[in-house]
Amino acid sequence: MINIKNLSKYYNKSRGIENINLDVCEGDIFGFIGPNGAGKSTTIRILLNLIFPTSGTASIMGMDVIKDSKKIKYHIGYIPSDANLYDKMDVQEFLKYCANFYKVKNGDQRIAELTEWLELDIKRKMAELSMGNKKKVSIVQSLIHSPKLLILDEPTTGLDPLMQAKFFELLRAENNKGVTIFFSSHVLSEVQTFCKNVAIIKDGKIIKVENIETLRKKQLKKVTISFSEMPTENIGIRGIESIISNTGNMLSFMYSGDINDLTGYLSKKKIDNLVIEEPSLEEIFLHYYQ
Amino acid sequence: MNKNLFFKEIKRNAFSLIMWMIVISILIFFTMSFYRTFIKNQQQIIGMMGIMPSGILKFRGITNLSDLFSILGFYAANNTIYMMLLGSVYAIVLSANILLKEEYHKTAEFLLSKPITRGEVFITKWAILTMNIILLNLVADLVGLISIEVFKTGSYSIKSYLLLSFDTLLLNFLFGSIGLFISTLIKRPKPITTFSIGIVLILYFLFNISRITPSAEKFGYLSPFKYIDTNVLAPGYGIDIWHMFYFISGALVLTVLSYQIYRRKDIFT
Repeated sequence: MINIKNLSKYYNKSRGIENINLDVCEGDIFGFIGPNGAGKSTTIRILLNLIFPTSGTASIMGMDVIKDSKKIKYHIGYIPSDANLYDKMDVQEFLKYCANFYKVKNGDQRIAELTEWLELDIKRKMAELSMGNKKKVSIVQSLIHSPKLLILDEPTTGLDPLMQAKFFELLRAENNKGVTIFFSSHVLSEVQTFCKNVAIIKDGKIIKVENIETLRKKQLKKVTISFSEMPTENIGIRGIESIISNTGNMLSFMYSGDINDLTGYLSKKKIDNLVIEEPSLEEIFLHYYQ
Repeated sequence: MNKNLFFKEIKRNAFSLIMWMIVISILIFFTMSFYRTFIKNQQQIIGMMGIMPSGILKFRGITNLSDLFSILGFYAANNTIYMMLLGSVYAIVLSANILLKEEYHKTAEFLLSKPITRGEVFITKWAILTMNIILLNLVADLVGLISIEVFKTGSYSIKSYLLLSFDTLLLNFLFGSIGLFISTLIKRPKPITTFSIGIVLILYFLFNISRITPSAEKFGYLSPFKYIDTNVLAPGYGIDIWHMFYFISGALVLTVLSYQIYRRKDIFT
């Protein structure tokens, strides 16, 4: 569906992305994850021909993203990360305007269905909409023409958890119809639960492309323990992947083992505090790929 | 050309076009309504103008005082300023923003994710620009003509009137293409309204300074205003092929360049 070959983009001399290679298969839900400034939006903007690559090529459905940009766009829906819309239009007018670009047959009906599902008031002026509601408008316009590929750039920002759930439900339904989803995010948990495959991007380079199941099997926790008295012996539990810090009575490490082993061990020790948390994306990067 | 975008753009730009039409029409008609009073007091005015420095008259584009007492001369001295200056301001403000506003309002991401090529976006917006400039000129010229007909006391050459109007339209087109060109060069999108108005004003003052200071006359040729002949009553007043060529080729070259740049431009929002 998407093929990216040796794609690089430099802004003057500063790096956007470097030598990216990526293949996304039809029907996939492909997560594209990395910290801010890693090059996610740059890659997406090249796919949409908003910006031109310095070198390399990219194609969608076998068509070149520069030469065949218009043809490609009949088949893709895009949700930008920063939902800015035409302030002076109302929601209905904007959505009709979007639909008219595609010559969709039952555009009005599709708009009605989608806006109802997302609880969006189409009579409102765009300028009056909250960030979350703007995002909903953005979601609807990306789906009006029943695209074959959805390109989503951090689509959940601004949506409340309830609406996020509805949104994912909507995306899953689209995916069941055969729609390929390219999902960029910096939130690991949503990529973990939603995507089938994931590419991790950092400093403009793809570090790893992995199946999400494989990633999930390596489920990592970040554990921080404040001991009342630091044990002198080695902590003999399997699953301690790497020590993050070890200062004073405080020990912090990545843990991939059984949580019961850990609590079992700690029950015999005197501790002041225990924190078990999801590691940040950055920490996962550091852990796996350093 | 994309119909959907075209009709949306008409709507988006209608209000400002209508406002400009109303303001310029009122200015023209209001100024022309003074013509009768003006010629009634011909003697005093000649006396008064006699003690003015000639520079002031030249600044207003008056080379021959008696020209002012003919309706067309009066119109040219007073009113072309509206369409030459204000019309050009309208043209450059519209053109400088018509493409760029999609970028600084961050709506370009939506527009360009739709099935429309850069070329189509450019041509559609250019068509709106051209159409609006023509409409503003048509209305202004019509109001000018009506006010001449209403307040005239003798005959005048309609041919000279139309020629002057046509020259002004070409001037507006040239400023329209300058605005487009500048906007395609902007890398980090922000509104450039003030900057573009500044360009028109600077070129206008450059032209005026060249008219009153002989030593600065050469610099006047840097300003497009210099190529408009407002001497409507001069015996040889007619079509100047070279001036027309200057306007048309200038506008054409800048528009084609802008088109090429826009097609290859990185759009940041």
